[in-house]
Amino acid sequence: MPTPLELIRKKRAEAVGRIIGKGYLSTKRVYVGMATCEIAAGSKDVMDVFQKAVSRGLTDVYLSQKGCAGRCNLEPTVEVIEAGKSPVKYGRVDRERAQQIIDRHLKNGEIIQEWVID
Amino acid sequence: MNVTPYRIILCDGTACINSGARALATALREQLERHGLTEQVTIGLSGCLGMCDKGPILVVNPGYTIYGRVTEKDIPEIVQEHLVKGQPIARLAIQEDHLYNRFFRVFGDAKFFGKQMRITLRNCGIIDPENIDDYLSLRGYEALAKAVGEMTPEQVVAEVEKSGLRGRGGAGFPTGRKWKLTAAEKATPKYVICNADEGDPGAFMDRSAIEGDPHTVVEGMAIGAYAIGASQGFIYIRAEYPLAIRRIRRAIDDARAHGLLGQNILGSNFSFDIEIRLGAGAFVCGEETALIHSVEGARGMPRPRPPYPAVAGLYGQPTVINNVETWANIPVIILDGANWFRTVGTETSKGTKVFALAGKVVNTGLIEVPMGTTLREIIYDVGGGIPSGKCFKSVQTGGPSGGCLPEQYLDTPIDYESLVKAGSIMGSGGMIVIDEDSCMVDVARFFLEFTQDESCGKCTPCREGTKRMLEILTRITDGKGQPGDIEKLERLGGMIRKSSLCGLGQSAPNPVLSTIKNFRPEYEEHIHEKKCRAKVCKSLLHYEIIEKCVGCGACRRVCPVGAITGAAKSRHTIDQDKCVRCGLCFNTCKFEAIAKA
Ligand SMILES: Cc1cc2nc3c(=O)[nH]c(=O)nc-3n(C[C@H](O)[C@H](O)[C@H](O)COP(=O)(O)O)c2cc1C
Ligand code: FES
Repeated sequence: MPTPLELIRKKRAEAVGRIIGKGYLSTKRVYVGMATCEIAAGSKDVMDVFQKAVSRGLTDVYLSQKGCAGRCNLEPTVEVIEAGKSPVKYGRVDRERAQQIIDRHLKNGEIIQEWVID
Repeated sequence: MNVTPYRIILCDGTACINSGARALATALREQLERHGLTEQVTIGLSGCLGMCDKGPILVVNPGYTIYGRVTEKDIPEIVQEHLVKGQPIARLAIQEDHLYNRFFRVFGDAKFFGKQMRITLRNCGIIDPENIDDYLSLRGYEALAKAVGEMTPEQVVAEVEKSGLRGRGGAGFPTGRKWKLTAAEKATPKYVICNADEGDPGAFMDRSAIEGDPHTVVEGMAIGAYAIGASQGFIYIRAEYPLAIRRIRRAIDDARAHGLLGQNILGSNFSFDIEIRLGAGAFVCGEETALIHSVEGARGMPRPRPPYPAVAGLYGQPTVINNVETWANIPVIILDGANWFRTVGTETSKGTKVFALAGKVVNTGLIEVPMGTTLREIIYDVGGGIPSGKCFKSVQTGGPSGGCLPEQYLDTPIDYESLVKAGSIMGSGGMIVIDEDSCMVDVARFFLEFTQDESCGKCTPCREGTKRMLEILTRITDGKGQPGDIEKLERLGGMIRKSSLCGLGQSAPNPVLSTIKNFRPEYEEHIHEKKCRAKVCKSLLHYEIIEKCVGCGACRRVCPVGAITGAAKSRHTIDQDKCVRCGLCFNTCKFEAIAKA
């Protein structure tokens, strides 16, 4: 019989495997805030823009939701994380900004400084 | 030269300062200048990072390299090798696989997070709360496995007791002691309950915690159940939180599917499951005995204690009831250890506290800081200060059960005892910053109106007393205050405090009594001079049209009671007897020709 700790380590390894299987190691990870506060600020629209882009063939992107990081006055927030680079956090994202983030940042690597939270 | 825009975090906690962190900052700046890197590399300070024994701590992001026991001599090497050549220095790097410091990897570079330390919110805003894989991948449920696999229930209780964790729902009762009392009871079955009622107006800590990381709460409850010998748990959450409810439900289902809830968890003899109970959103239902009645299906009314729930709780059985945030601390205490947990915080209050920072601050939002952080650090460093150049007036903690502290208490460190000494309470984590534009009498009236409305009516002091107090406060803000009203409020307040049945009544007068204590002149001005210095209390306001008036007639047209008269292109006047002080004319005038006093 494996011990509980052995079992949980196995579960973790499997979980990591599944996450990677979903494309976690893709070059860019995009997290859209989806807590009540974020949704109230309009993050469902933002998520929709990203989801549509992915379904229309945007590649090398791992799209995920996340809870509230505490930046209520700057919501909706979107994070773009790339290995070896500082995470970029965008604030007050709407449909328009989301589209620009896709076109300029995700496709062209341009960090849109004026919307960055620091 | 093309250098990565590194962000360096220097720990600015007490232990690191004592071991020389501040000198590192100077040395670092010097070196950056020498290499011409001041543009690309930024330096940030953080609160205690919980690695005091290895301090001073220096973190390089991106990459999240943690350097420990750094001396001034090491700085040139760090700059030359790591920042210029991109080669982290193995000799200085430390591996800290703590649960809590993971958020830092992602957020460590933002100023807002500088003085923060995230233990209970460690995964909030980082993982997908609806995907158990995300939680598992960050050592999720490992604490539960460790508890059921390697520790006896007594050891778990002892570890929690040693950690010094105290309840985060308001009263601050030592969690370990509560568990120990319940564990010692012979009667079975026993229950654990998670209190997610969160009734304070403006509070959203528990909602966000559940929405951001529901599994932490599930795991904490399972560990607690193992420790006291319970096999059934309940989460009491208000129905107004549909997203939180959906996510916690999903978390419970997923955990069950993975064998992390249900029969023989992880192959052990321990079985446990959780049900959700929805509350209708009454403030008093957050009080533990009322909550228990509500879970039982009865009307949510408190009863006198003792017996405490530890002895006779849900269905008369021994029950542990803890707040969401309290439960969320448990996995960290089990994995990172009580000894580590004790290093964070103050003598009497260990760990961190989550606050919903709101009101007149630049950065409103959910924050978590080590106990012992001062109110000033929270409002100015984390919160970014007061917007639009206004002056700070007061900070309200503890919601309707708490108090308002003025400027001289800004250096009060956050812990249970210090806040009480200053005249407020820790409460569950509401923190509202008030600037000069708010009237303290009106603030007190707001909170009292809330508690008066939410009083369940069972005991007379709370039911009648708060009503009388509210009448007096309303009359003061209406400009009809009488001499002696302040003393009456104090007398009534003192009596309600002493004689109410439950915490709702016992704490209801706090906002009034603390504002009288700290802002008495404002009460006196309202009563004797019929003046509201913040210009909030409508009945005490007075609008007048001054020479700047060009006679455009805009005010005349918006006035709902026809109090403004005047011919076109000549100065208008307000009939003070007709004026209802709605302020519409003031807001409409484009020429600043209406004076408010
Ligand atoms: C009027 C009133 C309202 C309360 N509301 C809450 C609440 O919303 N959430 C909560 O956790 N505790 C609330 N409490 C405190 C609970 O009675 C109880 O002390 C707490 O749930 C115990 O958990 P803890 O030891 O983890 O803090 C309230 C108490 C009173 C008197
Ligand atoms: S003070 Fe720096 S790690 Fe604690």
